[in-house]
Amino acid sequence: MNGAIAWCRAAALACVVIAITLATSLAHATSPPVPDATTPLRVWHAYRGAEQVALDALLQDFGQELNVLAIPYDAFGSKLAAAIPLGEGPDLFIDSHERLGDFIHRGLVAPMPAALIDSGAYVHSTLDAVTLPDAVGTPRAWAVPLSMKSLALYVNTDLLSDVPTHLEDFHDLKETLPDGVFPVAWEANSAYTHAALLSAYGGALLTEDGGFGMHGPAATRSLQLVLKLLDAKVLPDDADGALVTDLFRSGKAAAVISGPWLAGDLPASLRYEVHRLPAIYDAEDHTGKSPAFMRPLLTVESLMMSPRGADHPHVAALIRHLTSAEAGRRRASDARALSARIDAAPAPTDSFLRAFQDQAAVATPMPAVRAMRAVWEPASRAIRKALRRDAQPARALEQALQRFRDVRRPPPPPRDPTILLTILGASSLLGALLLFHRARQPELRARLRASLPAYRYVIHGVILVGLLVIGPILVGAATALFAGQPHQMYYVGFANFIDILTARSGPLLSSGSFYVVLLVTVAWTAANVILHLAIGVTLALVLSRPLLKLKSVYRVLLIVPWSVPSYVTALAWKGMFHRQFGAVTGIIQSVNDVFGTEIEPIAWFATFSTSFAANLTTNVWLGFPFMMVVTLGALTAVPKDVLEAAEVDGATPLQRLWHVTLPMIKPTMIPATVLGSIWTFNMFNVVFLVSGGEPDGTTDILISEAYRWAFTREARYGYAAAYAVLIFIILAAASTAGARWIDRSKERA
Amino acid sequence: MVNVETQGLRKSFGDTQVLKGIDLRVPKGAFAVLVGPSGCGKSTLLRLLAGLEQATEGTILFGGEDVTAHAPKDRDVAMVFQSYALYPHMTVRDNLAFGLKLRKTAADIIAARVTEAAAVLGLEPLLDRFPRALSGGQRQRVAMGRAIVRRSKLFLFDEPLSNLDPALRTQVRVDIRKQHDRLGATSIYVTHDQVEAMTLADLLFVLNEGEVQQAGSPLDIYNNPANRFVAGFVGSPAMNFIDGCRISSDGASVLMDGHALPLTAPEHTAADGLADREVCLGLRPHDFELAAAETDALSFTPSILETLGPEVHAHGALNSYQGVIAMPAEVGLQRGATVHVRPTRWYVFDSETGVTLR
Amino acid sequence: MTARAIANNVLSHALLLVAVAFALYPVLWVVALAFSGDSVPTARAIPVPTAPTMDHLREVVLTTRADADGASTWLFGQQLANSLLVSIATALVGVGVAIPVAYALARFEFVGKSGGMATLLATQMFPAVASAVPLFIMLEAMGLLNTRTGLILCYASTSVPFAIFQLRGAFETIPVDLEEAAMVDGASRFEAFVRVVLPVAKPAIAVTFLFAFMTAYNEFILAATLLSDESMFTLPVVLQRFIGEYDAQWEAFAAGALVVSIPVMALFYLLQKHMVAGLGAGGVKG
Ligand SMILES: Nc1ncnc2c1ncn2[C@@H]1O[C@H](COP(=O)(O)OP(=O)(O)OP(=O)(O)O)[C@@H](O)[C@H]1O
Ligand SMILES: [Mg+2]
Repeated sequence: MNGAIAWCRAAALACVVIAITLATSLAHATSPPVPDATTPLRVWHAYRGAEQVALDALLQDFGQELNVLAIPYDAFGSKLAAAIPLGEGPDLFIDSHERLGDFIHRGLVAPMPAALIDSGAYVHSTLDAVTLPDAVGTPRAWAVPLSMKSLALYVNTDLLSDVPTHLEDFHDLKETLPDGVFPVAWEANSAYTHAALLSAYGGALLTEDGGFGMHGPAATRSLQLVLKLLDAKVLPDDADGALVTDLFRSGKAAAVISGPWLAGDLPASLRYEVHRLPAIYDAEDHTGKSPAFMRPLLTVESLMMSPRGADHPHVAALIRHLTSAEAGRRRASDARALSARIDAAPAPTDSFLRAFQDQAAVATPMPAVRAMRAVWEPASRAIRKALRRDAQPARALEQALQRFRDVRRPPPPPRDPTILLTILGASSLLGALLLFHRARQPELRARLRASLPAYRYVIHGVILVGLLVIGPILVGAATALFAGQPHQMYYVGFANFIDILTARSGPLLSSGSFYVVLLVTVAWTAANVILHLAIGVTLALVLSRPLLKLKSVYRVLLIVPWSVPSYVTALAWKGMFHRQFGAVTGIIQSVNDVFGTEIEPIAWFATFSTSFAANLTTNVWLGFPFMMVVTLGALTAVPKDVLEAAEVDGATPLQRLWHVTLPMIKPTMIPATVLGSIWTFNMFNVVFLVSGGEPDGTTDILISEAYRWAFTREARYGYAAAYAVLIFIILAAASTAGARWIDRSKERA
Repeated sequence: MVNVETQGLRKSFGDTQVLKGIDLRVPKGAFAVLVGPSGCGKSTLLRLLAGLEQATEGTILFGGEDVTAHAPKDRDVAMVFQSYALYPHMTVRDNLAFGLKLRKTAADIIAARVTEAAAVLGLEPLLDRFPRALSGGQRQRVAMGRAIVRRSKLFLFDEPLSNLDPALRTQVRVDIRKQHDRLGATSIYVTHDQVEAMTLADLLFVLNEGEVQQAGSPLDIYNNPANRFVAGFVGSPAMNFIDGCRISSDGASVLMDGHALPLTAPEHTAADGLADREVCLGLRPHDFELAAAETDALSFTPSILETLGPEVHAHGALNSYQGVIAMPAEVGLQRGATVHVRPTRWYVFDSETGVTLR
Repeated sequence: MTARAIANNVLSHALLLVAVAFALYPVLWVVALAFSGDSVPTARAIPVPTAPTMDHLREVVLTTRADADGASTWLFGQQLANSLLVSIATALVGVGVAIPVAYALARFEFVGKSGGMATLLATQMFPAVASAVPLFIMLEAMGLLNTRTGLILCYASTSVPFAIFQLRGAFETIPVDLEEAAMVDGASRFEAFVRVVLPVAKPAIAVTFLFAFMTAYNEFILAATLLSDESMFTLPVVLQRFIGEYDAQWEAFAAGALVVSIPVMALFYLLQKHMVAGLGAGGVKG
């Protein structure tokens, strides 16, 4: 009777699981509801500040109810990719044109009807930028250009009266400027900015035929020039966008290369002008052409339409509204956006926009093809590596080329899944038979009956965990056998695993290969767990001293790292490790001042060991409070009489700690340590946010590699899933071995 | 008040059989004590009676009603745990009232019963304290009180005194018996302390290895142990056992070291076929008297003397065996000074089965 | 006090002060940044705001949105409410689902128990990078995309296993005698669980609740990806909006971070006594 109920329950559970699985697999087969005139159009964008205000005002004037959403830039791409295929995305969205190649590939955009683009009204290059071949190779316009953004030269007119025509001229300005003021600043580490220099030498990040352009003589020479400027302190080290802004804002840089967004951060009191980027003498020597102007990359912010939006009756009206000349003029005046329309060109008196217009005229539209996505990571790494002088520029760029090819490798060919299906079918049949057989054994049935009361307590948890945790994990693990985009995946067998385990047919011990990264990951986990334990246990022991005063004050203060959102504090740590302006350097300088020592500031992210140490410091800081609290709790459970007995036995405090306290808290500490190790092994955000894998990807751990494959490289989910499965196997093997070892040592004890 | 009976009660944990067919009969209002060495299954038996464990086989009857399959809450028993198991999140008052609240007893009745139990046990000043603020003895009394307020028909005690100091133990022992008599309920009490068992019990069950070795009044068991185990377990100091003795060929006496102890007392009804049998001789320490150095007396040389006031327990060599003898203090035993003693009573056990031969 | 005890005391305080300095230093930088009017890039050792101002704090807290009908909604307040709602619901679901499961794991023997425990531990080993997309597709199939319920379910997928581990350890430290006493006193097993075990495990439950709350309260990637309505956003998503494609408003970001962490700090402060006992009682028994 009871047994029958148990089987009914199990069967019901199985049905629910199967139903959900079916529903999910059918999800993309069912078409989303067809929008009609009454559903408000959905518009998504990532604008902030004045740009958002201007856009909102424009949308308000449209007169119809709209559903507008401003999304954090960091989440914009992944949100589009997740929502549009499910029919949940926007009808219209605004993004940079260079994403188009990828969007087309993933089916996130619909072609723009020719009637909506008044081709005579646009700056020609912007139309080129949004025109790309469709699936059969016919060129089509996929978006309507809205505005153009590029870098230009901001000059502080209080510091510089003449604007140098050539980049090298800034070198000579060093003497004339006050102490501590950089003649010029830009994000030297960024491939986006460096592309402007490269162009002066006749190069480009991506060659015409879709190859990697950031190598060869032009790229090498451009890097050598930057090195020279860095050496001469004409240019600040390791400048990121925020630093460039701060330097210019506070008058510590006479000129900076930045985009229109900088203007919003500048105080009204600052007097500045915007000019075209200068030329480069060295490039003139190199190319023989004169003048050799720096030509920045041009980004065309465009209005794109999702396949769902294409069906909406009012979409054309809204597109016309948003891309009209009037709209362009309004966005220019309210948000300082340089319109892509010729008839919304800035007034001659508007020197700011005029300057950007001049610059845009000679800028190179960023390639929109998918291959471009694979350029950034290797190019930036190579630039950073060369500028840190870790390698000769030529050598660093050669490695970048290698890495680019690595990422761009064609995906593995489809395989016939018959073998897999046969094996799966056979094994599930076998499993079912075995289960059936076992279920008939009276002993098991008796035990099942005895288990019934317990099942009443766990059944809901089993369903929930099964659905929300195990189901997705199984599906996720299964994607490791597939390649292609989420909704057009095809079976490739174990190709992803073979690829990873053979280090993509490169040398097995080269940087970035699975084995090297695994080694780093193990070192990372071990170092973290040891430090967490050492610091946490020590502090807990001190805090549990009976005579200590202010205990609870210390306890609260020491818990603080745990309570502030970790993405904020991780970024704070990254800032503190900045070579020139970080707090750690500040401390070193104070020490130098006070003690008269001459400690050099450390370039934390320049070498593996210091970069690893920076990551480690951050994660130890984040994690020690947890261990401390766990230990404090465990210590309250250590009976005093045992310690007293040991004291009577003549044990010294250290002996008591070692022979009594530690063994007694071990049962609590071991599980906490096991979970802590697992979490640390998969702790990607510290690595991602602090070192970002620097230098040269050496501090990346397995999980951050997996993330890169899934999100920043070619969106190879199958490949990332294969990494995830390997991580799982390693952790499972390690914890099984660990459990064995603990059991054995228990037996010995 | 209820009589308790078990029939062929068996309990196994996995492959290990802990109780091997227990037949108990506890009449209404009796104070029954289960005694036995550690691990013999006393607690398990008690937990079966409370319904905290399910029997593998056999039946439990309360007042003739089969309660084997009843849940603990439906058995109306009260239990005092060895650890007291006071609810740490409740005050003493709430601890006492909890069982009644669960049974939806009216608030005024609860208050009256709690007050009464508190008065009886001297808990009044402690009613609003939490268990963590009580001493061991106070906790024990709260645990008792919790059982008392319930007015159950059956009280179960699992070694309730083992966490108390000896002086308190004696006092609480008396209290428990008093409460039992006052409430007139049936009580089943588990202990491994045979002094407690002897002093409290109306009815004593001696358990070993999951079996009842003997049931009866304490005195009866003391005087007529059913086997060597019971004989050794009941009585303090424990009985001296002398292995390798022999029944004389006429079956009229038992031979120890060449001494013949006649099997004439009523407890040794010499049976046929015992002649020449190898047996074990049992001599209680208290069953010796001093004797002249005659041939049939045993020599005893004390090596350790335990003086208990009126009485001395002497450990030493009894002829060629090690043994214990209890003598009044005024006899003046001296360490190393050999005396002669004569057993006044003796038991004979089968060498192989340990069964008492009578 | 002996000289030795004094020396020990001084040493303890010195050690703790160093640790406190280490713990607070980066946070103080966040505070300094939040109140800085303009940041002049200089390497400094002491975190003090330059040109102190409350502007950023005000900007973050006072965000409003003009509605179609002319009225304006206090957006920040709404989003704070969302954050609290989602986090509390996540914690409630996590702890609520986990409590009976953890109890069964701590108290009952049943077929599949050890297998279940091993599976649960195994789920902690599989990186979310590969399971997020399937989870998403499933939520969409259930029509829960762009709903707070969907988000809560997503978070529950991490908070439930954690809470089960945490609470199982806690229940194991509670003596079985207590429940048995209650059962003899007239409670059913379930009543004994509810009226005796749960109250006794309260500290551990509170701590587990706090942890589950935190995972949801600080998360932004899932929230930003799942929610498509500004009035449903949680605070971390709002914070993330201060970081743009080309530039970031770090000061506002820091100010927002401070505001966001105030409720958590307050909870920590209230629960810290329990936390020590709770976590210890719970241990994180795996
Ligand atoms: N849940 C259980 N699972 C397996 N074996 C058990 C269980 N409970 C008790 N036992 C075993 O059953 C036997 C009897 O245990 P029980 O607790 O009844 O002993 P006891 O007579 O009360 O001993 P003590 O005087 O030491 O309390 C012991 O060997 C014990 O190891
Ligand atoms: Mg016992």
